[in-house]
Amino acid sequence: MNKNWRWLPAGIVPVVIAAAAVSASTVAEAQPQLPALTAQELLEFVATSTDDAYSGTVEQSSDLGLPDLSLAAPPGGSSGSDPTSAALELLTGEHTAQVYVDGPGKARVQLLDQLAQRDVVVNGDHVWFYDSEANEAVHAVRPADAGEDDLEAMLREKAAEHPELQNIPRTPAELAEVFLARIDPSTEVTVGDTSRVAGRSAYQLLLTPDDAATLIGSVAVTVDSETGVPLGVRVQARGQEEPAFSAGFSSVDFSTPDAGIFDFTPPPGATVTEASPKDGAQHDADAADEVRVSGQPTVIGQGWSTIVELPAGSASKLGLSTGTGESTGMGDIMEIEPGMDPEEVAGAQALLEQALVETDGGRALQTSLVSVFITDDGRVLAGAVGVDQLVAASRQWSNRQ
Amino acid sequence: MPAESAATHAPRTGGSLGLTLVVSEVAVLFRRLRTWAMIGALALIPILIAVVVRVSSDESSSGRGPAFLNSITQNGLFVSLTALTVAIPLFLPLTIGVVAGDTIAGEANLGTLRYLLVAPAGRIRLLLVKYAGAALFCFVATLTVVVTGAVVGALLFPVGPVTLLSGATVGIPGYFARLLLLALYVTVSLLGLSAIGLFISTLTSVPVGAMAATAALAVIAQILGALPQLEWLHPWLFTHHWLGFADLLREPIVWTSFADNALLQFGYIAVFGALAYGRFSTKDILS
Amino acid sequence: MSAGELAIETRGLTKVFGRQRAVDSIDLTVPRGSVFGFLGPNGSGKTTTIRVLLGLASATSGEVRLLDGEMPDDARAVLPRVGALVEGPAIYPFLSGRANLQRFDAADRRTDPATRSRRVDEALERVGLSHAAKKRAHAYSLGMKQRLGIANALLAPRDLLILDEPTNGLDPQGTREVRSLIRSLSDDGTTVFVSSHLLAEVEQMCTRIAVMSAGRLVAQGTLDELRSGGTARVRVTTPDAAEARRVLTGLGLTPEPHGHDDVVTAELSVAGLQPETVNAALVRAEVRVRGFEARGASLEDRFVALTGEGFDVAG
Repeated sequence: MNKNWRWLPAGIVPVVIAAAAVSASTVAEAQPQLPALTAQELLEFVATSTDDAYSGTVEQSSDLGLPDLSLAAPPGGSSGSDPTSAALELLTGEHTAQVYVDGPGKARVQLLDQLAQRDVVVNGDHVWFYDSEANEAVHAVRPADAGEDDLEAMLREKAAEHPELQNIPRTPAELAEVFLARIDPSTEVTVGDTSRVAGRSAYQLLLTPDDAATLIGSVAVTVDSETGVPLGVRVQARGQEEPAFSAGFSSVDFSTPDAGIFDFTPPPGATVTEASPKDGAQHDADAADEVRVSGQPTVIGQGWSTIVELPAGSASKLGLSTGTGESTGMGDIMEIEPGMDPEEVAGAQALLEQALVETDGGRALQTSLVSVFITDDGRVLAGAVGVDQLVAASRQWSNRQ
Repeated sequence: MPAESAATHAPRTGGSLGLTLVVSEVAVLFRRLRTWAMIGALALIPILIAVVVRVSSDESSSGRGPAFLNSITQNGLFVSLTALTVAIPLFLPLTIGVVAGDTIAGEANLGTLRYLLVAPAGRIRLLLVKYAGAALFCFVATLTVVVTGAVVGALLFPVGPVTLLSGATVGIPGYFARLLLLALYVTVSLLGLSAIGLFISTLTSVPVGAMAATAALAVIAQILGALPQLEWLHPWLFTHHWLGFADLLREPIVWTSFADNALLQFGYIAVFGALAYGRFSTKDILS
Repeated sequence: MSAGELAIETRGLTKVFGRQRAVDSIDLTVPRGSVFGFLGPNGSGKTTTIRVLLGLASATSGEVRLLDGEMPDDARAVLPRVGALVEGPAIYPFLSGRANLQRFDAADRRTDPATRSRRVDEALERVGLSHAAKKRAHAYSLGMKQRLGIANALLAPRDLLILDEPTNGLDPQGTREVRSLIRSLSDDGTTVFVSSHLLAEVEQMCTRIAVMSAGRLVAQGTLDELRSGGTARVRVTTPDAAEARRVLTGLGLTPEPHGHDDVVTAELSVAGLQPETVNAALVRAEVRVRGFEARGASLEDRFVALTGEGFDVAG
């Protein structure tokens, strides 16, 4: 008997595993045969998509070329209750969320943190936020006559009040909407190769900004070939091989989720905050005060290379302010949205202090997709452009003033 | 051949499952003082946590410490979860390392390995039985932490319906069903490490070396898992899903990490089981 | 002898560790029903041979037949019929003597669990350990452990017993008991293969022996065959030692140096030369022979001649 035969299983098993892994990814990468669509047809398909009810797992990852600071976070504990690290958290690393949608009136997004979870539940007129680690719940009632946009606005407002809730990812469809809204005449819209996403055949819509100033190289939106629902969004930074940001379904099920999922009763012992309309009004007043103090943010430019400027004094309030300006609400897509929310960047400022580089006239943070520039006189500029653009913009505006 | 021989040897079908050796293996494992010392040490984790929290419950230390720590004062049943979170990275792998590293090397060291093989136990069968023993220990060890935690928590703190991560509450029976699932998850998580320990154990007749190497690998894998530069490697590390047990505490339960974890651990069992077979099937037993 | 009559048969059995040939091409033939002594100094390769016989180690080359099977391929069929004590007993110190035996008995999937405790008790009884059966083996003396090891070999009726140094650590009483145990087992028809480094022990128990030295099998056969293989010696007591030496040398013998001035010894190394011829030659040469002794080879001489003398452990 040849003694070496005994090593045969040890040789075969890894080969089988490798083969299984390769074939799985080959299946995943196989290009399904789909009827050809023009870019225009595909855009219309998305616009008329029937996404009434579905559920699935959304994976989101960002690679902005920053050092991974999540290592500094305590193990096991997510940084949900700390706004600065929460903002920082989404500059790096990965998130997984369970998404349940049943028509416009019912939705639940569960951000699956390690050993913790954050939930947003929309059920008819009732909206709940829940953070398991802090055991805090926020309840809001939507006014009876409120429309879809009002709900969105309210969600944003609530999220702004509770920074720990800001990192709940949006559905890929919502993300896609943000980018599709950016399409301007200079944007090249094409149809890419078909692919398989979350086990479904999908079209791919490619948006390529023809704008030398922006850091965004291209945006790819995968679209379910049956329903027209966007399944994933991938943002490529200019000159970077790996996607700087991607979010998409890893699994999706287009059947109506169990109605019980949208019921939420705050658990005993949880701190429950009622956000009544009155509170909202009060909050608006507060916010107005703050705006008066700090002044309105200025939007410079348009399209992909939009720059947002926070006036003097903002820098000193970084990480503290809530409810000012145009919050993107529960979406944590600040790093990819041209008209990004300055607060979220600001929130990360404290921990990113070391990442800030001394620049002519201030300090700057450059990632592969967005830049932040804090001038010596305390203004903050941010946008999906290079630091030099921000510096130039800051000069231009101070000159004008 | 003496006539009595036929009577002594049971018909092949009767004993071919070899369950008696499994029973014997379990008996030997749990008749050792060392095994009980390790189980006692594991039981000490929830006890320590519960007592410390009880004694210092006035002080608010919210936002720090291991997960679920702050929930304990409200519901004693959370002691299990805190203890499990604390035990998974180091204490559980350490005890598994001792048991899995001892499987073959320990018998070789005592010299009993040669008598088991001469009996004959059969080399592959012995590997399987030894692995089954280690796997059972994984379950007992995990269950020890969970059950002790629940008992101590119930003794020192109020107990009631348990809030899941999603904010939903489950009654105590439902919670215990989840705890059992959780223990199962953690047991499965440790199966890969057990297979590695079994393989290392076939390499040496010095059990302490095999134990230390196995426990060290668990630590190394977790360190590698924390290095962002090795992100491509992370899904392949046997420690990758160790803290994913929380997915069983969501409503609805997210099964993906359970499935991914089981698949990953199965891969480790296959690879290191094959290696252990390769090493042990024709190894010269010289101790 | 046909294969069916042999309990153990090896052909060209060789085991090499690194550059050392621990067992060098040995051909053992152990007939069924015999009490076979496997003799050799420490380190001569006895235990390694036994390990290969039992499938614990694999042969570098050569074949092994045990009972009706090839080892190690037929180990599952053959080993349940073989009881073994290899390189001393091994125990789980934290288990009782009885639990130790139950553990080893459970390892064989063909044993009947229903009769296990009866068989374990019988085996303990047989080696005189019944009184200590419940004691932790950790507290056993060396001799008790040795008895437990032998009991393990007797858990089931065996066709072949392979006992490696069975009397190690036993007091004279225990040694006698083991000897009588082996005899009674042999009377029941069991083949017993006993290894030992003590000639006296083997001589008392065995009908056939094989002698190992430095990994080689240097002799094999019945006791008588081995004895006759040796050369006789003459011992002459005479005041004329120098003359006696001359005469012996003249006969072709090689007188050996001796401590006493009046004693001359020599091996009868010339074929056909009888002691009386030597005596006649001495008398003819007018050597005053005061004492003349002719002795057949003792097994001990033979053993020493085969394996070398002294305490050097063969490397």
